[in-house]
Amino acid sequence: MSNIVEINGLYKSYENGNIKALNGIDLTIKEGEFVSIIGPSGSGKSTLLNMLGALDLPDKGSIKVAGYDLLSNKKLNEFRSQKIGFVFQLHNLIPNLSVVENIEIPMFTSKMSNSEMRSRALELLDIVDLKDKASLKPSKLSGGERQRVAIARSLANNPSIILADEPTGSLDSKTSTKILKQLIDLHKHEHVTLIVVTHDMDVAKLADRTIEVLDGKLVNAGDDSLLEDKINVE
Amino acid sequence: MSFLKFIIKNPFRRKNSAILSIVGICIGIIVIVALGGITQGLVSTFEDTIHAGGADFSISGTETGDSAYGTNTISANWTDTIANVSGVDEAYAIYVVLVPIGDDYMNTLIGIDPNGTDLADISLTDGRMFRDNSSEVILGEVYANDNNISVGDNILIKNEEFEVVGIYETGDQNMAGGVFTSISKVGELMDDSDSISNIYVKVKKGVDPQSVADRIDELYGDNITTITSVMEMEQMGTMLNTLEAASWGISLLAIVVGGLGIINTMLMSVFERTREIGVLKAVGWSNKKILTMIVGESLVITIVSAIIGSIIGVVATYALVPMMGLTPVFTAKIFIQAFLIAIIVGIVGGIYPALKAVKLPPTEALRYE
Repeated sequence: MSNIVEINGLYKSYENGNIKALNGIDLTIKEGEFVSIIGPSGSGKSTLLNMLGALDLPDKGSIKVAGYDLLSNKKLNEFRSQKIGFVFQLHNLIPNLSVVENIEIPMFTSKMSNSEMRSRALELLDIVDLKDKASLKPSKLSGGERQRVAIARSLANNPSIILADEPTGSLDSKTSTKILKQLIDLHKHEHVTLIVVTHDMDVAKLADRTIEVLDGKLVNAGDDSLLEDKINVE
Repeated sequence: MSFLKFIIKNPFRRKNSAILSIVGICIGIIVIVALGGITQGLVSTFEDTIHAGGADFSISGTETGDSAYGTNTISANWTDTIANVSGVDEAYAIYVVLVPIGDDYMNTLIGIDPNGTDLADISLTDGRMFRDNSSEVILGEVYANDNNISVGDNILIKNEEFEVVGIYETGDQNMAGGVFTSISKVGELMDDSDSISNIYVKVKKGVDPQSVADRIDELYGDNITTITSVMEMEQMGTMLNTLEAASWGISLLAIVVGGLGIINTMLMSVFERTREIGVLKAVGWSNKKILTMIVGESLVITIVSAIIGSIIGVVATYALVPMMGLTPVFTAKIFIQAFLIAIIVGIVGGIYPALKAVKLPPTEALRYE
């Protein structure tokens, strides 16, 4: 399997350098891998995820995701639209649109016709077992159902990678398990690379590999050889 | 769902705010449409009454000679003189006299060549045109209705019996209550074939009526004048300019007030939807698409306002203005102006909030509480 993520010497700081969010990260992730990123609050794990999704850019270093060099590429919205699917801690669904219309939102960037968009959205709702709720407004759904709609939305444009930031953070444990199972099933069946940021070790354990971030540094790459390399370098 | 449908749906998420914006812009549009209708109505009335019917201008004497009934007259020879002035296409004399007609002790009898009735801007609604030098008349609709006379009836004019051969309509209220016959017959009735009241003049196609009128004044200004109509046209022009300036003033006010209202509504909307804008960026929407969405939403509000405002403006003007004795006239130009203003307000009001939305860094937008 080839690398879908290649990060070298990634630095990012905020507030004129006073807050060092990323402090020299090196990381590779293989295509089709399920990777969890753990670490305490403020460790830099969400910043790393934002970098992977081109929502933010580093101060220094190189970052290549799904063949895109994010520092030199100017069409980052095109990259996000075609290669990345985001799942947030809060579902962030648009309240005045129906469930099916919410899933169509990312497809506005594609060249799909209205009927193709509708058919794709219903297909995705079928995958997350919510086809019967297609015409409902998000307010009529439970928290877990809304998150499943958000997962369906993340898959709208057949992304190469799903980036999930605390996807079960606002859910009870029973619903969390169901949501995770759904994400993992999708990762397996759709052959999507899944990268999940979490502080929940039970969630992290389900991944093929767990990466630990502390003070903006990778303290555990989840791969002994990589970690040894890193230690030797330092 | 299409992108357009999404844009149309969005502004009505915050119904109260959208309604308030619509009401604000609607008021501006109502005023613009109503004022436009009134201005056009005034133009139409002025044109009907001043513009000498279908003629470009009319000529009367500078001094005379009063006729038997107090109507000023000039020599009939002036008709041929004026017809020969460069630029003049047609010149027809009219002879207006006040005589006993039917039961009226005094009414207006207008004599004109049957071929020149087009210049008097009268059109037959019933019957036919009178023949030259015959005892035939056509009656104005108002006169015919008031006296319950129809085609085929006879009426007495200055003790001579005339047959009513037609009924005409005209925008000129004075003519609508009068009676037309041939000018030669009026001369015969008045025993004065050498006098006329006015000359209706139509200039050749492509020629400026004002320049012809000026030429006539220059050549024959000592005896005849076009000044009356020119002055009235100038007065009308000044009045219309004032009304037009008022209309644009109100339009400008509508743009400013409506623009501020829409900026406020759209800014509130952008702030409330900060996280949503972050999501749209995260799913790959370009800045151009987000800008189009916000400006589009602003345009939806202003165009809805323009539609509602135009309807209310027309209905209210038709309901209220006739009480002032004026018939409003709505032309396409009025609605184009109203919609153009609505579109300007929509774009101006939407662009600043849209730029705010575009400049939001996605990570900050997604963190927004």
